[in-house]
Amino acid sequence: MGVKLFSFVQFSSAAFRRTIFDGLSFGFLLAIALLVILKPGDEQMLDMKTNGFVFSGLFLVSVLISLILNKNGIRTLGEHIFEPDHKKGQQIETSWYYTLWGWQLVILLLVTFGVGLDKTRFSLNELLDEDGFDGAVRLFNGIFHPNFTLLPKAILNIVETIFMAFMATFLAIPLAFVLSFFCAKNIMKGPFLFSIYLFLRTLLNVTRSVEALIWAIIFSVWVGIGPFAGMLALMIHSVASLAKQYSEMVEAVSEGPIEGIQATGATQMQTIWYAIVPQVILPYVSFTMYRWDINVRMATIIGLVGGGGIGTMLIQYQGASYVARSWLYYLSDCSCRLDFGSILSSITFCPQVESLACDFDFLSFLSGFKIFFCC
Amino acid sequence: MQALQGVSFDVKKGEFLVIIGLSGSGKSTLLRCINRLHDPTSGEIIFGGKNVAKISGSDIRTLRKKVGMIFQQFNLIPRHSVLSNVLMGRLGSMKVFPSLLGLFTEQDKKNAMKYLQLVGIDDKARIRADQLSGGQQQRVAIARALTQDPQILLADEPVASLDPATCHTVMDYLKKVNQELGITIVCNLHFLSLVRQYATRVIALQAGKIVYDGSPHEIDDAWFERIYGVGAREVHIN
Ligand SMILES: Nc1ncnc2c1ncn2[C@@H]1O[C@H](COP(=O)(O)OP(=O)(O)O)[C@@H](O)[C@H]1O
Ligand SMILES: [Mg+2]
Repeated sequence: MGVKLFSFVQFSSAAFRRTIFDGLSFGFLLAIALLVILKPGDEQMLDMKTNGFVFSGLFLVSVLISLILNKNGIRTLGEHIFEPDHKKGQQIETSWYYTLWGWQLVILLLVTFGVGLDKTRFSLNELLDEDGFDGAVRLFNGIFHPNFTLLPKAILNIVETIFMAFMATFLAIPLAFVLSFFCAKNIMKGPFLFSIYLFLRTLLNVTRSVEALIWAIIFSVWVGIGPFAGMLALMIHSVASLAKQYSEMVEAVSEGPIEGIQATGATQMQTIWYAIVPQVILPYVSFTMYRWDINVRMATIIGLVGGGGIGTMLIQYQGASYVARSWLYYLSDCSCRLDFGSILSSITFCPQVESLACDFDFLSFLSGFKIFFCC
Repeated sequence: MQALQGVSFDVKKGEFLVIIGLSGSGKSTLLRCINRLHDPTSGEIIFGGKNVAKISGSDIRTLRKKVGMIFQQFNLIPRHSVLSNVLMGRLGSMKVFPSLLGLFTEQDKKNAMKYLQLVGIDDKARIRADQLSGGQQQRVAIARALTQDPQILLADEPVASLDPATCHTVMDYLKKVNQELGITIVCNLHFLSLVRQYATRVIALQAGKIVYDGSPHEIDDAWFERIYGVGAREVHIN
């Protein structure tokens, strides 16, 4: 009975996922087909009520299609992906181009790519346009012909940016440290404590899901444009992120030392301090360094929306000459790329930090280019 | 499912009681009910004239102060020194604030060193606990339990992760604690040969029930088969 019930649950959850997946993928294809055929105007595209209605209809139709197809033994892509393990390997091997799911995948990819081309206004003409290209070259040249009159101010602003990141991290540590224990399931046992745990977790998730950029906008209205706003934005984001990472470490500690301390008659507080903290302190340090690394990079971007530092200076010189501007882009990129992660990791011999920092270097490389071309 | 059923026995002061039984027979559960690391669903556990089966909060901590425990995996704090680990036995008797700052009294430190000496490991006091071998760690764990000044010491398979030679050293120290300090010991063991050597009394558990209660020397082959199942063979370690 137990086994049967279990396999039923498993099956139904796989079937549910399959149906949703197929519903969305067929629905997407149908919707694109509809758009291509009807070619609706701008006004029609903005009419959310009707469009929502139409898309829900298409989704339901697609769900029906998926159910009917699978009922008749025709495998859809959803079935192929979400098939429960116990059913795997039962069907005869066939080449993908004889199967529905194969074509579903190919068409889905092609159509998505096509829509992507359209949505990003992908244009080789623009890319190869001579005037535009000359502009980019001029901008790039600016890097090699710096406007040194800006340098003193820029350096002061870079220092400001770095200290914004430092303060944000520094102030976030104690808050996140305390919160991390209230956000750990293995500590918050019992209905009352568990509801606090749920509340805090939700609060932190919401806080974290608001981008630091948005926090910076909010704080620049609250406390005024400048490094203080940027620092607060980074701090709030850091508290939420660190508390989550810290608390996951707390949840992963081994039970043995905890019981060892509890058995001596220690209080909860003493147990946390003596049995849990020593186990989590090293990961805490490495997470904190990683966060500092992120904050230095983020501080630059945040400056763009009024968070102070080199980013704000960049925005102020938006209308200035090409030379001044591109020189600033370059400087802000450099401050982005002061690689704290790898420096710290070589000091602390903590390879975890190193690998995280490496990952991040690639990102910062990309984001450097993003600033370069987008501004 | 019940891990223990109808288990009833008295432990006399100064006894070295050994509990044997197959893995899963309920030995750990029984031990951990005594210091309330587990909460028994029903029944009574009388300690010092008081039923401790249903107490909660600070009463549990008061109970645990008087009941030391050592574990199969030693459960020391690896990153702290041996001495610091032993001093943690005092946590239950300290005010929270000084204890968090690690302000142990001179008397506490003297006692800790005394117990480290008792288990023959006082020369390692400043070394980090994870630098010690298994047998040495278990001796530190014994010293930690002793600093609590307990009336009874629970030992949950204290030698199960040690090699045979170290096994005897640790058991010898437990015996010393039992005889010199007069501390009652309740100990879970696997090996019958150890039982005969150290126990003053034996309780055998099978599927959560007591199937033998008596002297270790009266366990013959017939009893052995009853406890461990037909066809089981006794393993001797020397
Ligand atoms: N936390 C637990 N929750 C539920 N059942 C448990 C738990 N721990 C142990 N048990 C069960 O209780 C029984 C006794 O376990 P235990 O006391 O650990 O036996 P032993 O120490 O003799 O090996 C076993 O059947 C085990 O499966
Ligand atoms: Mg056990």
